[in-house]
Amino acid sequence: MADHHINRVLGIETSCDETAASVVDGGSAIVSSVVSSQIDLHARYGGVVPELAGRAHVELLTPVLSDALAQAGSDTSGTGIDAIAVTYGPGLIGSLLVGVAEAKALSMVWGVPMVGVNHLEAHLFASLLEQPDLGWPLVVLLVSGGHTLLIEVTEPGRYRLLGGTIDDAAGEAFDKVARYLGLGYPGGPAIDRLAELGDPGAFAFPRSLPGDGYDFSFSGLKTSVVNTVRKHPDAATEDVAASFQQAVVDVLVTRARRAAADTGARAVCLAGGVGANSLLRRRIEEACAHDGIGAFLPSRALCTDNAAMVAAAGWWRLRNGGPSPLNLGADPNLRLVSVP
Amino acid sequence: MTLLAIESATDMVGVALVGGVGGPVERVHLGGRLHAELLAPAIEEVCALAGCTIGEITGVTVDVGPGLFTGLRVGVATAKALAQGLGCRVLGVSSLDILASAAVGQDDAEAPRLVVPVIDARRGEVFTAAYHFEWLAEHAEVSDPASIREDRLEPMSPGDLVEWLLDLSSEVGSVMVVGDGAVRYRRLLSVHPSLDLRLADELSGPPPLALARLATARLSDGGTETLAPEDLVPDYRRHADARINWEERAPRTAGATPSDPTRS
Ligand SMILES: [Zn+2]
Repeated sequence: MADHHINRVLGIETSCDETAASVVDGGSAIVSSVVSSQIDLHARYGGVVPELAGRAHVELLTPVLSDALAQAGSDTSGTGIDAIAVTYGPGLIGSLLVGVAEAKALSMVWGVPMVGVNHLEAHLFASLLEQPDLGWPLVVLLVSGGHTLLIEVTEPGRYRLLGGTIDDAAGEAFDKVARYLGLGYPGGPAIDRLAELGDPGAFAFPRSLPGDGYDFSFSGLKTSVVNTVRKHPDAATEDVAASFQQAVVDVLVTRARRAAADTGARAVCLAGGVGANSLLRRRIEEACAHDGIGAFLPSRALCTDNAAMVAAAGWWRLRNGGPSPLNLGADPNLRLVSVP
Repeated sequence: MTLLAIESATDMVGVALVGGVGGPVERVHLGGRLHAELLAPAIEEVCALAGCTIGEITGVTVDVGPGLFTGLRVGVATAKALAQGLGCRVLGVSSLDILASAAVGQDDAEAPRLVVPVIDARRGEVFTAAYHFEWLAEHAEVSDPASIREDRLEPMSPGDLVEWLLDLSSEVGSVMVVGDGAVRYRRLLSVHPSLDLRLADELSGPPPLALARLATARLSDGGTETLAPEDLVPDYRRHADARINWEERAPRTAGATPSDPTRS
């Protein structure tokens, strides 16, 4: 049942280590977007600690929500908010539940509908926030600490999963290699910065392209980096970082390019935290220009986790399926499913 | 005051509402660890039963633990959000206090002098505290459990618990033991005649109505500080397990496995 009175949506995102809230008008106009990162909290562990993340969300969500509402000219009584959208999976169960509980409580108090949003679908909607007239079909390369997926989007809400990683996610490989090289956490930005100073051809790390489909594998690459550094303890860290990054990006671009060609996509779209990587952005742009298709690179703030994309996806889901029931749970392994 | 009480510190999840036109009401779901799924519908249900709307709630109280981390987070996050949306303050109450007050609140001529609630902390440990109630015939009023609590702040092993309980019972003769920890370790406890387990099943979890009544007493007393929603946090009593679980962090099955023919 479509509700055409829904204009202004509050989005809530707590699936991993960002506590975020945002108000979006009409599915595409960001009115406010607040993201509180827990990076400092997890940095000393070299990755996201699930229990620490859950605890931080409980503490951060109340002020983050108040900020997002205030910046949108609303307040905690929900003035002017027509609906609430919340990420209910995939992600860390203890973190997801905090957002879901918040969304349900506010939905009851404000008397507005609430809709559960798939975090992966939200990433796909991030592009629409900056380019509402994005054409279809598209191939989206969704790369983050938790995911490495190639998805064909034939139109909003219609997805076909082309491939995914069979072991580590791309962002996970960045984090693990950064940790091994002593570059700190998160690994993506650290390697991105250092790689600018290194020689990407210094080491020939393997480019793994498993199977004849669109799958990825990064665990062999990570092992190869470790073995190489052991064998060459004097190797310049920037050369290792640059060579590693080059290998990851080569694989991502090769697969995305072929997926676009095979599906007749009009453009390749980046999504997810690794979508903020400078080399990946450059190389996707070059490849698409060469192949005569569009490349859409959302701003870095919309690649990483945020609640504006959740509000956008929620607005769309409310019009194409309606609200979620109050007994909505969280699903850490939620799959991306097309609208019926 | 129309006070909503939220309970989710153990396997069970429950809600009570006092001060509504329909009198005190309670809804409890036992077991299943479906806190997230069941809590919000239970809140709607008690409001309907009590004949009020959610907007008429003027106070929120919640069990802040110790207890199950996930359950506590769902309960506390819900309480914070309700208070935030309603523009009211919130009162956090200890799970151990609620169990103790529920145990002495039972209609029993021979009310226990010593009540020990035991919450299952998992990983082979329990959270617990002892409550020394004074029972004077002419002064039947129960004091606030918080004022007579001998808290064991650290989680303890069931073996240490038994030793401690026997120490306590040697002073007063009998100890009433309640809570899901008492149920879980019943076989260890029941061999000791001085440990009274009669209420263990009935009070395996803190009853929401007992929480509502204890909170009402504390609020009318005026001596208890309520909190702004942003200041309320669970009482975890354990440092976070700081291991990084890459599997949990990156649920690789998340999208759809490429070999999955049902994907679309
Ligand atoms: Zn994400």
